[in-house]
Amino acid sequence: MQALERSPNLATAVVLATLIVLPFVVPATLASQIAIFATGALSVALLLGAVGLLSFGQGLYLGVGAYVCGILAKDAGMGLIPALLMATLAGAVLAGILGSVIVRRHGVYFVMLTLAFGQMGYFAVLAFKNVTGGENGLTGVPRQFDLLGLSIANPLAMYVFMAGAFFLVFLLVQRVIASPFGSVLAAIRENEPRSIALGYAVARYKTAAVALAGGIAGLAGGLHVVFLGFVPPSDIELEMSQRLLVIALIGGIGSPGGALLGSAFYTIVSEALSEIWPRWLALIALLLIGLVLFLPGGLWSAGRRISALFERKTAHE
Amino acid sequence: MSESTKGEPILIADSIDVRFGDFQALSGFSMSVQPATIHALIGPNGAGKTTLFNALTGVRKPSGGRVVFNGHTVTHASAHRRVHYGMSRSFQVTSLFSALTVAENLRLAVQARHAAEGWVFWRGPARRRDISDEVDALLTETFLTGRADTRAGDLSHGGQRSLEIGMALAGRPKLIFLDEPLAGMGIDDVHRTKGLISSLSSRMAVLLIEHNMSVVLDISDRITVMAAGRKIAEDVPAKIRTDPAVRAAYLGSTA
Amino acid sequence: MTDAPILSVVGLNGWYGKSHILQGIDLAVGNGELLALLGRNGVGKTTTMRAIAGTLGRTEGEVLLGGTSILGRPAHAIARQGLSLVPEHRGIFGTLTVEENLTLAARKGSPWSVDRIWSMFPSLADRRRTPGGKLSGGEQQMLAIGRALVTGPKLLLLDEPTEGLAPVIVDRLVEILQELKATGLSMLLVEQSLAVCTAVADRFAILDGGRIVWQGDGPALMAAEDVRARHLTLEHA
Repeated sequence: MQALERSPNLATAVVLATLIVLPFVVPATLASQIAIFATGALSVALLLGAVGLLSFGQGLYLGVGAYVCGILAKDAGMGLIPALLMATLAGAVLAGILGSVIVRRHGVYFVMLTLAFGQMGYFAVLAFKNVTGGENGLTGVPRQFDLLGLSIANPLAMYVFMAGAFFLVFLLVQRVIASPFGSVLAAIRENEPRSIALGYAVARYKTAAVALAGGIAGLAGGLHVVFLGFVPPSDIELEMSQRLLVIALIGGIGSPGGALLGSAFYTIVSEALSEIWPRWLALIALLLIGLVLFLPGGLWSAGRRISALFERKTAHE
Repeated sequence: MSESTKGEPILIADSIDVRFGDFQALSGFSMSVQPATIHALIGPNGAGKTTLFNALTGVRKPSGGRVVFNGHTVTHASAHRRVHYGMSRSFQVTSLFSALTVAENLRLAVQARHAAEGWVFWRGPARRRDISDEVDALLTETFLTGRADTRAGDLSHGGQRSLEIGMALAGRPKLIFLDEPLAGMGIDDVHRTKGLISSLSSRMAVLLIEHNMSVVLDISDRITVMAAGRKIAEDVPAKIRTDPAVRAAYLGSTA
Repeated sequence: MTDAPILSVVGLNGWYGKSHILQGIDLAVGNGELLALLGRNGVGKTTTMRAIAGTLGRTEGEVLLGGTSILGRPAHAIARQGLSLVPEHRGIFGTLTVEENLTLAARKGSPWSVDRIWSMFPSLADRRRTPGGKLSGGEQQMLAIGRALVTGPKLLLLDEPTEGLAPVIVDRLVEILQELKATGLSMLLVEQSLAVCTAVADRFAILDGGRIVWQGDGPALMAAEDVRARHLTLEHA
């Protein structure tokens, strides 16, 4: 992600506008899902766009966050906000521990390790099935609907909550990217040996970025269980990692706003198509190939190109 | 070979060995660098000059020997730690943040020295006036003020080499390692960069690998000559010019 | 010699990225001649070889091989035109056997058949099934030369063939170069050892500061003491 993003305020405006418009365009429950997966995709986009680290395992932290939030709400009777905070913390801590090991590897080896850890999540869930519910998922999570006295029981209020959570994370990511810490991540992405030669403890920075992304994914998992009222094991399966990655790529990793566009696109298309054709994932595959060939910056960059065209047109007049 | 005895050396390399599998790149190599001097490292292809740089700066750990910098034993310290001890380097093949501006390249270099600053994640970098003042000073010193907002990748070759040196200077090093700073430069750039390197010796020690012999012989206080992983001569330029071992290394032994 | 030179280089400029290493090289290798390219290290001798062989990214100027322009053409096309390079550090295929290294490169119609290589380098013939990586430095150099020869070149480029080799092997290499010369093969030799060059070269060109600063034959080189002092040693650099 470019720290010197041409217009972060414009990005914020686009994201805010999209969030406001969304419930008018799609059912509120679908809109909530979009916001939740946008949050999850943000964790992938942060690592890939800001640091240049490709992770095939963010689903692990999303799943861990979901289980932690669900178990604490169910067995410990924890409230909404504290449970979500614990989900975020769990994702961050686990990512920090695993990250400190895998950031020492580069390229293909790093990616394979994220994949390996991503897969281990599901087996851990099966191993501790008396706590997690195993293959059946974690059921019986009390639906928490009281946020500071206000009810979020109805779908629209639930969406407002989810959208609000995504927006906060989005603003945080924007801030981090534009900060000195973000500039170091960009430096590592651009030229790692140079960064080391300047005196940056590169491994530590990468681990911090991985932990931050893990926390974001954990939060997304917590939001998911709040939304669903149970934890499906698919939340921690490899498919979740893949989905988050696909969403991030479709939306574009050049800006945190891409995560929202990608999630909206993917969720709406999958809803619409899965009714018509069970093999709809094949279309997503074709779409990805087309993106890589013709629009590697994802949907967000398409928006940027269109606005550049407008600028040129008005300049000529 | 006379060892300079003007007080404590800033850098001591003691019997450094570096092996790559079967190949012995450096054998029992020893040298020392005095503070505030320009010390050049020359020699034929494959002599081990860049390997020595890599061993001294922590890019490659030696298989034997010691490296002592400013009184600290740094033989196994990581590369980024050594920067905080006061070592700084430029690379043989230009290594910049090509997609970022000249000013941002320098800012990152200065920021690295203020170690805590890199961990600030809640505000923008522009708030630190002291860092931007340092960047301005470096731009002036490297003659890049007018190019502050240019993408580093778009600079001319001479500009890029100057930026490399500028980034190494940002660390306020006690010893700066320059690896072929003049390679592939045109005459004007060579002249300007030569002046820049000369001016550094008032503030720091300079260890320099270079093939431009007229510059090396002109600005160096001391020259170490390497061949096949060993030191074959070390002295002031005037003596090196006429040293028979050096002549043989460059021309090959008479059959 | 009245026939056209086998290699003609005029105003050759070459860059590594932005680094302007070759700043206008002019040289020519006559038919059946061995031209030695001398110079201190770092001056651009290997870069010149790469530029001629077509493996240097950015080049400008004119390079003619047997009258045909080869500058800017892909390296494999230049090789098919009859140029063969024995690169610095040998570059043989370490996991392939000696025989495989040769048969891979062999080209139909080449005056140098694999059998002729065996007779020229008996020590290689004894080790034909040894993997290249297990050969000694000297044997690898023989193999690298043999491999270049089986392609049937009009012009052989050799980059520092004696580097890192024991004096006894260097002597054998000098013999081989003299044998090749006797067959009429044109060669461009980069060598830091003046002794090796004087034993085999017809003419010498000295590279310094990205240009050719002197050309001449053996006696002229020996006589030009100040030139040698200025460009080959450090005495008057």
